[in-house]
Amino acid sequence: MNTGLLEFAGRLRGLISNPRAAIGHQQFQDLALALFTLQFHHNPAYRGICEQRCLVPGAVRRWTDVPFVPAAAFKELRLTSLAPGERTAVFHSSGTTAQTPSRHLHCPASLALYESSLWTWFAHNVPISASAGPQSLVLLAPPPSQAPHSSLVHMFETLRRNLAAPPSAFVGLADSLGAWTLDFSAALSALQASSPFLVLGTAFSFVHLLDFLAAKKLRLKLPAGSRVMETGGYKNRSRSLPKAELHALITESLGIPPENIIREYGMCEASSQAYASFGTPFRFPPWARVRVISPETGAGANEGQPGLLQLFDLANVFSVAAIQTEDLAVRRANGFEWIGRAQAAPPRGCSLMSPSSHTPAPRPQ
Amino acid sequence: MTLPDYFLADLPPQTNFSAEMIFEACRALKRNRDQYLARRSTAAVIKTLSEVAAHWRRPDNAFRKLALHEGPEKCGFSKPTLAKGLDDFFCQLTPENFQSLLKQDIGDAADPAASTRPCRRFWRGPEFLVHITTGNPPNPAWMSIILGLLARSAQFVKCAAGASFLPRLFAHSIYDADPKLGACLEIADWPGGNAPLENVLFAEADCVTATGADETLAAIRNQIPIHTRFLGYGHRVSFAFVARDALSQAVSAAADDVAAWNQLGCLSPHVIYVEEGAGLAPEKFAEHLAAQLEQREADRPRGRVSPAESAAIASRRAIYDVRAAHSPETTRHWCSKNSTAWTVVFEADPRFQLSCLNRFIYVKAVPNLNAALQAADGVRGRVSTVGLAAPEDKMPELAAHLARWGVTRVCPLGQMQNPPLTWRHDGQPAFGALISWTDFES
Repeated sequence: MNTGLLEFAGRLRGLISNPRAAIGHQQFQDLALALFTLQFHHNPAYRGICEQRCLVPGAVRRWTDVPFVPAAAFKELRLTSLAPGERTAVFHSSGTTAQTPSRHLHCPASLALYESSLWTWFAHNVPISASAGPQSLVLLAPPPSQAPHSSLVHMFETLRRNLAAPPSAFVGLADSLGAWTLDFSAALSALQASSPFLVLGTAFSFVHLLDFLAAKKLRLKLPAGSRVMETGGYKNRSRSLPKAELHALITESLGIPPENIIREYGMCEASSQAYASFGTPFRFPPWARVRVISPETGAGANEGQPGLLQLFDLANVFSVAAIQTEDLAVRRANGFEWIGRAQAAPPRGCSLMSPSSHTPAPRPQ
Repeated sequence: MTLPDYFLADLPPQTNFSAEMIFEACRALKRNRDQYLARRSTAAVIKTLSEVAAHWRRPDNAFRKLALHEGPEKCGFSKPTLAKGLDDFFCQLTPENFQSLLKQDIGDAADPAASTRPCRRFWRGPEFLVHITTGNPPNPAWMSIILGLLARSAQFVKCAAGASFLPRLFAHSIYDADPKLGACLEIADWPGGNAPLENVLFAEADCVTATGADETLAAIRNQIPIHTRFLGYGHRVSFAFVARDALSQAVSAAADDVAAWNQLGCLSPHVIYVEEGAGLAPEKFAEHLAAQLEQREADRPRGRVSPAESAAIASRRAIYDVRAAHSPETTRHWCSKNSTAWTVVFEADPRFQLSCLNRFIYVKAVPNLNAALQAADGVRGRVSTVGLAAPEDKMPELAAHLARWGVTRVCPLGQMQNPPLTWRHDGQPAFGALISWTDFES
């Protein structure tokens, strides 16, 4: 394994261990350009893209100028610096079985970095209710054995271990086709404990749970201090409803006040996540920065103008740090507001066939 | 020009319609139809429609001026794109073309307006016709109105939210030419799925036409009483085929089809299949097409698109950047600079690919038409139009091949968005589908 990348990963883990330590503009710039140089030299698929755009180390002076790779390219290319024998895990994006998923290849060092990154920023954004006694964790997702290629399940498993919760915290199931459902009796029984909860899940899993509660005419009042973290879109796995409506239903059915509902933004192609809570925009940790670009010109969009979200994630050491998402966002002072997905024009008139998207919805499995 | 408040769509956008308002509108339309339209002769309706269409083509026509003035902001099409679309549509509405349509769809059957000549067959249109339409591009909504008037039906046109501008202008122009005819029309828009309003419409209608996605049509069909006729026009796509002997002449016509209504109609091509062989190589065809689209952008700009649509184009382009970097021999693309105004992607892989539209076109090389049809097998049965460029003597054979495969319309390349008035929508007579017959067996 390349020692330069390993050293970079070790150095970054040192920085990540203290999320309050700011990474200044120049430090981020230096780290980003150093990582770009390493990835250019050790990631052949990425190097091809850089050379085609004539953007090579030495010719690039700012992290915003390095070639950003569309997230969908993870479906088509092995965007990795890992040799075949070094690849010990792979995360797939969600999607229908007919779609080719994104593939983010990992090794023990990259997984350690992923886990360090996700835990540090999660703990920073989702207060753990220490004073209220033991925290009960409910994970609306299948256990790792049923979803071994889900980066989200890996994240939940990492959180479960760090929070010392039992494996039964997972109350989801994956069917033979990989579609996620809930074990409703397990979910219901888990949600009856008396200590405050952390309930984590995808938006569609929350819809499944809320619809189940509505059908049973049940309304829960989770203990004070309980929190919800929801992530991702509906991916045709449940009915779709605006996030405000979903949150209102969560408040109504689970008794969680709006200020205790946290949104997460992540993707299987990245190693860091962004969080937003009541009235605040999404924010990535100091080791990941975002940029919103005008889809028309590719130049940086002005604050308040919608554009495509680009992410430079320093924790993506062994793949590609510079990723262009298919998400539309608006830059806000210290973060961004997610406003939707790039959407092909439906053929109008007498046809409304929707072209398939190139990448999955924001949150992977 | 300020439009009077004749139609519900003329009311301020924040107006909340009630079921009672819709019910009253339906009843008024039926009364007006009974008084002013039911006994009007076919010739009189054709005369009015032909005159209205001719006026729309005059530069000083107030409705045309308003469409071109406010259309770019309201519909997204640039003024020249809109002007070309208006001209192409309205030039079809001549008395001769109306007569051809009637001859094709009803033959020599008697006019419903009390014909005195002896006849063995009589036809009549629905008393009350409801159209659920997207409204933008406007052609399907305009055609629905025209065919409905020809059928002597009272009509309620429900457009998608915010997309009633051009159908509304057309309705106003009819009202202006003949207020009694205009009084048999209603135009409104609201977000689809408003059951209280739509249930009133469906309960009153004798026939409902709808355009949209399969799920939309299925949802509408479920709400319609069993005895009410439903005509749903769902998923359709189109493509072009350019034979090897016609390559160089076809480039400009292909650009016209991509630029017309910004490729948003179901008759616009997603893919242009180019036959390999002698003459211009398919990849060169793509390059020439890019130059033509650049020229179209100068002459008839695409206009603005939503951030989500723009982002879709940018995202799709980014993928082809990656593919071009890794497989330059099988993928190339040409893009407008500093905008998403037009994109041409050449791919060696012939599989049919849905475009993200707004002037984003695929060019794919195939050895012959058979190979193109094999590559398009995934959309077989859902293809509306194939634009064909080939030497004249080969056209009939190719058209027959396409017909056997299931294409419902084959036209010369360059005319994909300009179907004649006699066009059979999705292979079915558009006017004939509206009417009912009485056979007189003496």
